[in-house]
Amino acid sequence: MRQTTVAALAGAVLVVVLLPAAGEGQGAGQGYTAPRTKSGQPDLNGFWQALNTAHWDLEAHDAAAGPILQLGAAYAVPPGLGVVIGGPIPYKPDALAMKKKYAANALKEDGEIKCYLPGVPRVMYMPYPLQIVQSTEFILMMSEFATAQRTINMMTNDRPPADTWMGWSNGRWEGETLVIDSRGFLGSTIGALDPEGAINVRFLDRAGNYHTDGLHVVERIRRTGPDHLSYEATIEDPNVYTRPWTISMPLYRRVEPNMQLGEFKCEEFVSDLVYGKYQKGTGQ
Amino acid sequence: MRHRLVLGAACLVLSALAAGAQTYRAPRTPDGVPDLQGFWTNLTYTPFERPRELAAKPFYTEQEAIDFFNRSIAGAQDQIVHYVNGDFGATPVQTGARPNRRTSLVMDPADGRIPPLTPEAQKRQQVLIAADKARGPLARTWRDDRGTVWCVFHDRAVPSVVAPYGSNYHIVQSKDWIVMTYEWNTERRVIALDGRPHAPASVRSYAGDSRGRWEGDTLVVETTNFTPKRTFLGQPGTPPAVDASPALTLVERFTRTADDTLVHTYTVTDAATWTRPWTVELPMHRIKGPMLEYACNENNQDGFAALKNARLEEAGKLAPLEPMRRGDAKAAITQHEESGAAKVIGADDEKK
Repeated sequence: MRQTTVAALAGAVLVVVLLPAAGEGQGAGQGYTAPRTKSGQPDLNGFWQALNTAHWDLEAHDAAAGPILQLGAAYAVPPGLGVVIGGPIPYKPDALAMKKKYAANALKEDGEIKCYLPGVPRVMYMPYPLQIVQSTEFILMMSEFATAQRTINMMTNDRPPADTWMGWSNGRWEGETLVIDSRGFLGSTIGALDPEGAINVRFLDRAGNYHTDGLHVVERIRRTGPDHLSYEATIEDPNVYTRPWTISMPLYRRVEPNMQLGEFKCEEFVSDLVYGKYQKGTGQ
Repeated sequence: MRHRLVLGAACLVLSALAAGAQTYRAPRTPDGVPDLQGFWTNLTYTPFERPRELAAKPFYTEQEAIDFFNRSIAGAQDQIVHYVNGDFGATPVQTGARPNRRTSLVMDPADGRIPPLTPEAQKRQQVLIAADKARGPLARTWRDDRGTVWCVFHDRAVPSVVAPYGSNYHIVQSKDWIVMTYEWNTERRVIALDGRPHAPASVRSYAGDSRGRWEGDTLVVETTNFTPKRTFLGQPGTPPAVDASPALTLVERFTRTADDTLVHTYTVTDAATWTRPWTVELPMHRIKGPMLEYACNENNQDGFAALKNARLEEAGKLAPLEPMRRGDAKAAITQHEESGAAKVIGADDEKK
């Protein structure tokens, strides 16, 4: 009897070990019950941040040189095991060819470089703190990067009134889990007058993984402990992928007692870059 | 409709906003504090500073307020502009402005005007003016607009100086934070309510560092740590821009005085810049959400065109602007009255 139990336990341990690295967040803290807000919902308030290399590349990747020779090791790409469950990303063949093209042209195509709003899910795993402020009616998710902000509608389930950079998000509680359904994303700067500022697709990371205006994201966010969230996003875009695919990662609480969002108005840092050829002198 | 407005005017005497604040009790959030949440606008036709001829008249009668409001609607429609604001749903009439009995937003000093600059601040301001003059009429770089057109920071947001459109707020509260998102450029204020001290004095930002606390039904917000990169005032309708000193402190008070009204007053204190503190009162009215993303920097056609056209003009290659258009003032007033929105601010509070 005892032996059987030990064997079963060993089996369980083995199953856990065999789970893909990207799926780790799901198993851990499964039984955790989050503290509640006064209105009775799981309390997601606080400052959260990803600690992985999804920002550089969602897929498993080796270390690599950065895009600018002079920046050397400082802007090189750190290696990572990837956050795509069962990766790689299921691109359609022509979309995969486009990904490689966009990746090669990242300095022009990546909205991050131009301080453009990063969209979803990218804003969730950029290396900037994300503050969640939760009321009954709305959950705000605010990134330090470019003052990017998501307003999750908890009491309504309307369709997007317009396409936007950060999309339109409707949320609901499924027990301990916040489920967010987001649509209405802009896929490019369609109709841009300005060739220097134009981008053709929206990058999901710095490696050129991308989506179009066909994006639909379903996220599942759950507390797995006092200082951890499990974050999972299923990404669908029939223009680009053969099927929906899912990323999974923990988000960590920034526990510093004086934590607050800084002001990172990166427009200041990119206007000379993007509009330099139309400028005259430095104007300073 | 106009008839009914005239009748309503008869029973209004004093500052109705103050009167309302004494009797109304704001609903509470689940955390037990006054609930300021929702979508609000502070759009108004009331001038920031009081016209000199009204120096001794801080309040209109209700009828005067309505007449002023209607004249303002007509004036806005008659403006010759490159495009008609109304085409973009962008006039105060269309977006929630209401007649206000105040004759200026500045309520202190008593003459409704920003107090004089100190001699030292006058010198600072002369430096700014000289630099503007040296730049000439054509934009050289994004810095020539001090960042506003370039989406860096919208000076109207903090302290609020009311934009001609889109001057809307979405307020969300949790136990320890209150977030006020301003529509223009998504200027976001994330205000700590947990009693923490301000950030170190060396940390500076355009929107400043805000700390809030409840005093009864009023949210009091103190903001410091403004960056020397920004200026204050200098928007159309306000005195010329001036650099502030690092000591500038903004103290704001937000009080819900009715289900559909939040009264926002603020006092700016900087002894090195103005000869005395000054105070502004901005009524905020509930509007219907949602408030959509502003996305200023993404595809910034105004900024791009300003630079590109400046270079074309220098090269003598600029095509003439399209013919200008006028709006229909009479139709705008009728539309406004028919919508039932011409209620004078504070009138209901007075009647309660």
